[in-house]
Amino acid sequence: MQSLRDYIRLYFIIEAQYIKARMQYRADFIISSIGMFFTSLVTLSVFWVIFDSVPDLAGWTLTEMVFIYAFYMLAISPMQILFDHFWQLRFHIQQGTFLKYYFRPLNMMFYYTSEMFDLKGLIQLVTGLILLIYAASQLHVDWTLSRIALLIMTLFSASLVQISMIVSAACAAFWIIDSYPVLGLAWKLREFSPYPMTIFDGAFRFAFTYLIPIGFVAFYPSQLFLRPNEVSSIVYFSPLIGIGLFAFTYWIWTKGVNSYTGTGS
Amino acid sequence: MRRYLAVLRGTAMVGLVYRFGYFFAILGNLLYIGIVYFLWRSIYQGRDTLRGLTFNETMVYIALGSTIFFLLKTYSDWIIHFEIREGIIATYLIKPMDFQTYALFAVLGSTIMNIFAISIPTVLFMIFVLKVSFATGIGLALFPLSFIFALVISFCIDFFVGLMGFYSESVWGISYVKEVILMFSSGALIPLQFFPDGIREILLWLPFQAVFHTPLMMVTKPKLELDTFIPMLGIQAFWAIALIILTRLFYHQAIKVLRISGG
Repeated sequence: MQSLRDYIRLYFIIEAQYIKARMQYRADFIISSIGMFFTSLVTLSVFWVIFDSVPDLAGWTLTEMVFIYAFYMLAISPMQILFDHFWQLRFHIQQGTFLKYYFRPLNMMFYYTSEMFDLKGLIQLVTGLILLIYAASQLHVDWTLSRIALLIMTLFSASLVQISMIVSAACAAFWIIDSYPVLGLAWKLREFSPYPMTIFDGAFRFAFTYLIPIGFVAFYPSQLFLRPNEVSSIVYFSPLIGIGLFAFTYWIWTKGVNSYTGTGS
Repeated sequence: MRRYLAVLRGTAMVGLVYRFGYFFAILGNLLYIGIVYFLWRSIYQGRDTLRGLTFNETMVYIALGSTIFFLLKTYSDWIIHFEIREGIIATYLIKPMDFQTYALFAVLGSTIMNIFAISIPTVLFMIFVLKVSFATGIGLALFPLSFIFALVISFCIDFFVGLMGFYSESVWGISYVKEVILMFSSGALIPLQFFPDGIREILLWLPFQAVFHTPLMMVTKPKLELDTFIPMLGIQAFWAIALIILTRLFYHQAIKVLRISGG
């Protein structure tokens, strides 16, 4: 086993190589980045169209929704940038190329994850940051030092929730081979995380808070900044939820890795 | 014709292999319908109608939209791009088949499977479990025709984007942009009635609305006059024909730049 320092050093070496290789396809990077930017633009337009017909959504204004969406963009960026390789897990498992990850004296999840670094996700990160600053200034959010610390902490746990959702969905491939339907479902669900969870009733709200906690990707943590007085106490547990979910996902990954038998070729 | 039907049968059979996928598709679709139900309920907030649509009509529009999404999403762009990149396309070019017709029939195979495996079960679930009431009228009779136009248009758009793979390595970005524009401006995310007037007027002339909005209107407001439906079908027919011609011209241009090294 290596120490944490070795891993960090190794990560930078691997990523530097990867980025050099990707830079051969500069046009691809530019077009993909435009695509990424466009997606955010369209989601914002969806809000804009909705708010053209109604003044508020469950009591939330357009600017507040923009803040929540900006938080969401920042929260999903680590997944996009660092864990993008999990979209291909099903191909590696199907083709048998996943076997190679067993043969290095490294943590397998680390090694697998490090093989990809999604540059276009950086556009999402930057757009999210600009939007967040803009919406926050419109809403007069007072950025004290403790608020900034809170933002970083909540973003960290929110991105862990997001990472856990996609990674565990991808891990379904260990058992059902083609995990695309499960991944597609997780992807679809997460697109609803910037909406106020208060619009949901009963089973749906329970599920999105406790079972598939998309509420913790954006809405609940954003409340801390927008309406600190209305926050339910569960929001303060969000770091625990993020870390807990990631630990659970790691456990699923380990189970999957141990049960994989290759393709025989 | 028989050779194309064999292609159709082939892709339909592939669908059967991944039966588990259908289960998740239905589950995901029902979940999606549940979520948009809550979302639109909070948008309506007790109002009877918004922009000329009742809550029930909006639900029919969106729920059916996400159900026919599985039929109208052809994945042709991804498939063709993959075939170009891997050089597999050469094996199709030497066969005595027209490549575009081949690609269309490959799509039809999976579409037919999806009608039975995803769309019909979902619609039955909507009627009998969720008690969504569908209105009846002339529009319902026109829906199949409108749907066929929509499928052809959607296929042509995807085929066109797929052909860009001849020129660029970067079909991910182009496909993604196409996907996002299509979803937004076709009414698949929000009924076009909700758009500001000026923008809607423009969108109604584009091919994207012909993919979702037109067929969905046939089911949402089936009682409208035939005079309203005929021009809508006319625009669909125009785009279907225009895009077929356009993609064929583009194909004959694009195929010239193809170089496959060995294989």
